[in-house]
Amino acid sequence: MSGGVANRVWLALLALLLAAGAWQAGRGAWIQAKAFFAQVLIAKAWSRTLRGETQVRPWPWADTWPVARLSVPRLGIDRYILEGADGSAMAFGPGHARGTAGPGTAGNSVIGGHRDTHLAFLREVKAGDVIVIERPDGVRLTYRAGRPEVMDRREVWVMEQAGPTRLTLVTCYPFDALRAGGPLRYVLLAFLS
Amino acid sequence: MQVQQPVRHWSDIAWFLFFAAVLGLTCGVAMGGVALLLAAPAYGAESASEPGLLLRAQGSEACLSAPLVSTDVVFQVSGPIARARVIQTFQNPRADWYEGVYVFPLPENAAVDRLRLRVGERLVEGEIRERAAARQVYAEASRSGRRAALLDQERPNIFTTSVANIGPGETIVVELEYQQTLRFDGNRFSLRFPMVVGPRYNPAGPLRVSDSDRIAPPVLRPGSEAGRPNPVSIRVELEAGFALAGLQSPYHRIDVQSPSASRRIVALADGPVPANRDFELTWSPAAGEAPQAAWFVEEKQGRHYGLLMVLPPAPGKGVRLPREVIYVLDTSGSMAGASIRQAREALSLALSRLTPQDRFNVIEFNSYAQALFTEPRTADTEAVRRAMRWVEGLEARGGTEMAAALKLALRGDEASAHVRQVIFLTDGAVGNEEELFKLIQARLGDARLFTVGIGSAPNSHFMTKAAQLGRGTFTYIGRVEEVKSKMSELFAKLETPVLHSLELKWPDAARAESWPARIPDLYAGEPLVVAAALAKLEGEVVLSGERDGERWQARVPLTPGSIGSGVGSLWAREKVASLMDRLREGGQEEEIKAEVIQLASAHRLVTKYTSFVAVDKTPARPATDALKSAAVPTLLPEGWEYDKVFGELPRGATDSRFQLLTGLLALLLGAALLYVRRRR
Repeated sequence: MSGGVANRVWLALLALLLAAGAWQAGRGAWIQAKAFFAQVLIAKAWSRTLRGETQVRPWPWADTWPVARLSVPRLGIDRYILEGADGSAMAFGPGHARGTAGPGTAGNSVIGGHRDTHLAFLREVKAGDVIVIERPDGVRLTYRAGRPEVMDRREVWVMEQAGPTRLTLVTCYPFDALRAGGPLRYVLLAFLS
Repeated sequence: MQVQQPVRHWSDIAWFLFFAAVLGLTCGVAMGGVALLLAAPAYGAESASEPGLLLRAQGSEACLSAPLVSTDVVFQVSGPIARARVIQTFQNPRADWYEGVYVFPLPENAAVDRLRLRVGERLVEGEIRERAAARQVYAEASRSGRRAALLDQERPNIFTTSVANIGPGETIVVELEYQQTLRFDGNRFSLRFPMVVGPRYNPAGPLRVSDSDRIAPPVLRPGSEAGRPNPVSIRVELEAGFALAGLQSPYHRIDVQSPSASRRIVALADGPVPANRDFELTWSPAAGEAPQAAWFVEEKQGRHYGLLMVLPPAPGKGVRLPREVIYVLDTSGSMAGASIRQAREALSLALSRLTPQDRFNVIEFNSYAQALFTEPRTADTEAVRRAMRWVEGLEARGGTEMAAALKLALRGDEASAHVRQVIFLTDGAVGNEEELFKLIQARLGDARLFTVGIGSAPNSHFMTKAAQLGRGTFTYIGRVEEVKSKMSELFAKLETPVLHSLELKWPDAARAESWPARIPDLYAGEPLVVAAALAKLEGEVVLSGERDGERWQARVPLTPGSIGSGVGSLWAREKVASLMDRLREGGQEEEIKAEVIQLASAHRLVTKYTSFVAVDKTPARPATDALKSAAVPTLLPEGWEYDKVFGELPRGATDSRFQLLTGLLALLLGAALLYVRRRR
């Protein structure tokens, strides 16, 4: 009899473990899936933007919109950049930090993204690589990547606007850390060529 | 049976292989995970020990070698007037010659009328000069190796002391003195001494303030302030003029001696404190002891300067008019931490006070402003509940685009049946005050603006001037424990009728010139305070006003009154403030500047256009030694969060891998357990 109770407790614990595992893995997978499929939806919004519409929301309840398209030909990378470098935009694409120059305009355009989704490719980018920015007006500009730097998250001076026209791509570092929220950032500058 | 045997065998092998693989994988991944998790803090530690603890833009090297500054303040309070002597000691710990530049706050109505430079036993009296001329004198002295001190006003409540040629290991003392009218409100006098200029937000764009670098001292990152607390010691000698009932210091522990019923000697209980928050001392008269009118006179150069303070009788409970209340909440980075908690608490208290006959809206702003409702809504239970939930979820981060919020709140439209009140909760950590004041003036219409200064170091210039231009009143909340009492006082003001159309009639023979020229409306508990210059002391001044349709009148005889030393300075300071108001209203800058300079020279006042400069006679620094210059770093105001103020680079990581890993581990463990069970 007592064996039956132990059996049931055992089964319940097992079910709980499996459910928790499925939930946790599901959440992780959901983040990756969102990051992947959102870019597909955003591609449509971007083609409408290129046709002259402004602030095209990729889905009706979105609070962000694509502002540029970034590609790295050597790596076959193509990403749509969204407005706002905050968590809500960066779940779906690299985000352009508000208050900094728009991608492809004069000044310093700061773009943030997750190291484990959209900006994971940054570790592969080498100094001298070509980065292409397509603006909403269809103009394509070529930038050349400089040398990446690892810095503290408080080094906000890299967001300053003065100086040559450039992209400042920011993601978290180290790339392989399991947890989010570390103090380090991987910063790659690319200058208009 | 015999057929089953091999099958059983095969499944066993399969299970075993699977189990082994799972176990191996689990162990491998777990060890890898542990290694990575352990590695992450190691990265953190590495970065914390990096050099450059201060803002890169400021030049960390210069900051850490800047002279150390400690401050001693002695107040002499007599009735509603305080005279303060602020002694700033600059100590150069280095082996080089240094210039120290220290940006510090004073009360927004401080009339700074004396500066002395003390080198060893020598005392050099400072002189008032036009700002540019003073700077020139100072620069000349600095070049020629003589010790010199310069005191500039950057804002009515922000000043800069520059001290040149502090020798290696040497100490130089700068003493400044100021005169101030104390605030009396709700049967309580208060003396406020600010200690730190919090980092200010300066909007970019065409309206960018040109002097933003003058009001932005380098800020020490928390944890790196060891040995640089900018210690402040305070002593107050109080002669209240009436028997005291209560004396409080809400933010610092104090020791109090009571030589008599009306006298108190106050000192900080734990010795010097770090300069990271306002000091406040409040006192109230014993029941029936509060004077209804006070008249202080000083005779100076053949003129009589008088300070008049009259407390009108308390208003009755008027008819409660339906109100339209717009709450504006600052959710910028400087509000992060203790401030936003105080502000949220205050706001939910205010929301709970609304009745269904009122209309309301809530606006929050940081880098952007947004309103809860597109139009003000009737304050029914549902709307109020929704607002409370919204406010609860607001976080503080980003910039302080206050203009955007003011534009949303003040639409300058015509009056409706509702009395429109704007309650503005902020720390005022902005550098573009003038632009905002102009905006308030232009768009106020029939609305009234009430400022609630939040946090440990609110910008008092913004709070008082915005309230004055907004024809409202201001209050300060420095701790969460104060929210209830301070907000109740504010509600009393909002909900009882004001005394308006106030006029003063001076006798003709007195040829009086009194400031402020336009007397503001008085809310419950507020006294009328006027400074006047008179040719003759005779007759009486007649005050009149209106409240709730009833006339109110009072007469005060212009007797020699109580002796009020320094009232002349107060009068001049008040006049300067009025002149600066006129400049904002579109007055000719050249004319106003000339008038301010003339006034400031006569009364030896530091103003926007005049500075104090003191130069020692004998050269000290040999021409062969170079002079280095350094800005004295300041502390972050108490309760502020460094990262939220100075921002951080975008975050760029998710927990997806961690979640996938732990989730899969749990699933695998479950599968393994299931296998073990089946085997048994």
